[in-house]
Amino acid sequence: MKKKVLFVLSLGLIAGVLSGCSSNDDQAQDVSEITIYSGRSEEYFTPFTEWEEKTGIKVNIRYGDSAELAAQILEEGTNSPADLFLSQDAGSLGAISQAGLFATLPDDIGVDIPSKFIAEDRSWIGVTGRTRVFAYNPVKVSVLPQSVTNLTQAKYRNQVGIAPSNASFQAFISGLINAKGEAAAQKWLNDMKANGVKIYPKNSAIVEAIDKGEISIGLVNHYYVWEVTESLGREINAKIGFFAPGDIGNMVNVSGIGSLASSAKQSAAQDFINFLTTAAVQKEFVSQSFEYSLLPDAIPPVGLLTLEAVGAPAVDLASLKDVQRTQDLLVKVGLL
Amino acid sequence: MPSTIPLPELGLALSPNSRGYAKKLIYAAVGIVTAFSLIPLIYLLIRAGEKSVTEILTLLLREKTLTVIVTTATLVFAVTLINLIVGVAMACGLHFVRLPVRRFLIIPVVLPLAIPSYVFTYTWIALVPSLSGLLAGIFILSLTTMPYLVLATMAGLRRIDGAQIEMAQSLGLSKAAIFFRVVLPQIRGHVSAGALLTGLYIISDFGAVYLLKVETLTVLIQNIYRSSYDRGAAAVISILLILLSLFFVFADEKFRSKNEHERVVRLNPIKSALIRKKSFIAAVISAIAIYSFLSVAIPLYVLFSRFYANRVSIEWSNLASASTSTILVSAMGAGLALLLSIPLGFLVIERESLLSKTSQRIMLASHALPGVIIGLALVSLGSKISFLYQTTFLLAIAYVLLFLAKSIATIRTSLTRIPTGVKEVAATLGMNQWAMLRKVIFPIAAPSIGLGTILVFLTAMKELPATLMLRPTGFDTLATHVWSSAAINRFNEAAPYALTLVIIAAVPTFFISRPDKADRAFINDEMRS
Repeated sequence: MKKKVLFVLSLGLIAGVLSGCSSNDDQAQDVSEITIYSGRSEEYFTPFTEWEEKTGIKVNIRYGDSAELAAQILEEGTNSPADLFLSQDAGSLGAISQAGLFATLPDDIGVDIPSKFIAEDRSWIGVTGRTRVFAYNPVKVSVLPQSVTNLTQAKYRNQVGIAPSNASFQAFISGLINAKGEAAAQKWLNDMKANGVKIYPKNSAIVEAIDKGEISIGLVNHYYVWEVTESLGREINAKIGFFAPGDIGNMVNVSGIGSLASSAKQSAAQDFINFLTTAAVQKEFVSQSFEYSLLPDAIPPVGLLTLEAVGAPAVDLASLKDVQRTQDLLVKVGLL
Repeated sequence: MPSTIPLPELGLALSPNSRGYAKKLIYAAVGIVTAFSLIPLIYLLIRAGEKSVTEILTLLLREKTLTVIVTTATLVFAVTLINLIVGVAMACGLHFVRLPVRRFLIIPVVLPLAIPSYVFTYTWIALVPSLSGLLAGIFILSLTTMPYLVLATMAGLRRIDGAQIEMAQSLGLSKAAIFFRVVLPQIRGHVSAGALLTGLYIISDFGAVYLLKVETLTVLIQNIYRSSYDRGAAAVISILLILLSLFFVFADEKFRSKNEHERVVRLNPIKSALIRKKSFIAAVISAIAIYSFLSVAIPLYVLFSRFYANRVSIEWSNLASASTSTILVSAMGAGLALLLSIPLGFLVIERESLLSKTSQRIMLASHALPGVIIGLALVSLGSKISFLYQTTFLLAIAYVLLFLAKSIATIRTSLTRIPTGVKEVAATLGMNQWAMLRKVIFPIAAPSIGLGTILVFLTAMKELPATLMLRPTGFDTLATHVWSSAAINRFNEAAPYALTLVIIAAVPTFFISRPDKADRAFINDEMRS
């Protein structure tokens, strides 16, 4: 009896081995399909099917966490089956770019995207934007802060929430270090701590805490108020506010895309990148997933300022790659 | 390499020719399995080798690394110790106390195995948002890993002869004396194997500690990837993690008694020696009630309330295909693990040699590696072999590398206990080696082989990081679905997938909790032969 079970198990195993071996093989020279590693979640709008219909090229999408997909591409090196890497943040793109695994994109790709959202060596191009904002309870906060530095004032004592372990917050601190120097960043963090800043595991928890009245203001990305509203299925007690134009608290980070140098399908890859930057698709990003279009005169997500009006501070996005220094600083002041 | 290792003596009377042939075959197989399990280790050494000695020393000696080592060690030892006490006590209660519906009381104690640690932790945080830190980590991980020690201990307890207990009682020994002098010496090996699996599991866990903000070595490794994409530094820390796990492997070797032997006579039932005191019965039942409230009722309550709060309609076709994929690839992994652990099992039956010991140590130590590392090691190697890369087969191989130790640890415990006398008797009766395997060894080992295989299947179903890296593009398991919704905070949408995962995993868990059947089968086989 037991022998039979064992026998059946091993038969199943052999069958599995054989079927496994024959599944993944694309040696075809003509471009009938393309592989994209996507750090953007499946649930976020990305027009893969629209492009498939337009070109007749099948898109294979591999979803994952942006940083882990970057580590995976670094391991695969020139053997990577990926043709394109679509990342949720500039840091992961910077890591691939530094390893020299991206192809240089010609000048006629992404012509409408402002140059500050494109890598200097043209290894990747920004696709959508997100801004750092503050979420606040409109009942409790009547006069809005003009700068993140205001948040260390006594009137915000025990009222501010941050998420130091979150990648977006760390990117913001990297921006702060770049703009004002490490000493100033450290002073700001210490002052925030002395002012009783509350620590949350992530952005959405901050918005939920504002809704519940635990705190009255918190530093988050612009889409979290929308996301929490969606997930709770009701109006919430939190609004989005911007600091004064040009304040580092309004930093803009991007999701972006680059084509792998090892890919033999450069023209199809470039066509896909161009497709993502067309006005029609950019409009969809705004309406469907509440992100910012990077095009200069694009309409912002409902109820928000345009990117111009936000007055995004000048931050070298490529510099956001090295988060180590930022994390060391956060550890030093005891926030991580 | 096998030729350089002295061949152990066989306790069998076989013709010299067939002995040599079988032995060579076994050695070759073990060699292949060992080489195979060395893949992650070689990968780590190559990556770590990219760093200079000064870089490695700075990395290891900085304050952060030292704090993380202390945190990890504290967590691992505290949880293992708690589980050693509570888990063994609970197993003894279930075994020695006369409980109503005893067989069903085991199920809720084992059921937490069916819940992935990240889902388990998430449900607790949903209820107690302030839950974080080392103490919370110790609490949550003690709850999730308890079944390992309960199961292992119960497997050992079932091999104890009821007559011995009765004898001890009639000699006037107290309950404590019976436990320490009669019971404990006979279950040491099983308890030790359970503690080993618990320790290695905690060292490798990422989901729970990450959510609870306990900075262990696995979290540090992940942070290094996230913050600097520095694979060399991550490899150095991973090697540190292997060293910590080796401590557990050696501790287990020391603790396991060398003289334990399987009883091959019919065991007397424990029935007449059962404890009937009301206070004992009440204590055991309330312990089980508290434990299953904390680790079954609470997670299921949160999952169900999320499930009902989910306003997005469930895509049944996605759910069905993800379930099929999950079962298929986990079964492949479990089957491969079963196949690969057999040659090592043979070697253990012969006698523990340097080769079998070293292979076991390597496999057990790699068991403590987090999924990300195994994933990246196979990405590094697999991407060079394009017909294998991103196939379900390679994913199944990853599961084997991650979880082979589970089947080895369980199989080994039962095989080492087969007395050589039995084998000698079988040989004098004229049995050849295969007949002896079939009629003597396999029947004795079958329950543990089944348990080991089911454990691999169960953990493979819940695995996430390696699955994300190695799955074929577009291939979704239940765990990857849970991840993709939870990653963007849509927990309600993740709930149907998480619940399906728990329900499917509960089926093999149910079989694990009822090995009495297997025991009876063993006794019957013994009687027939």
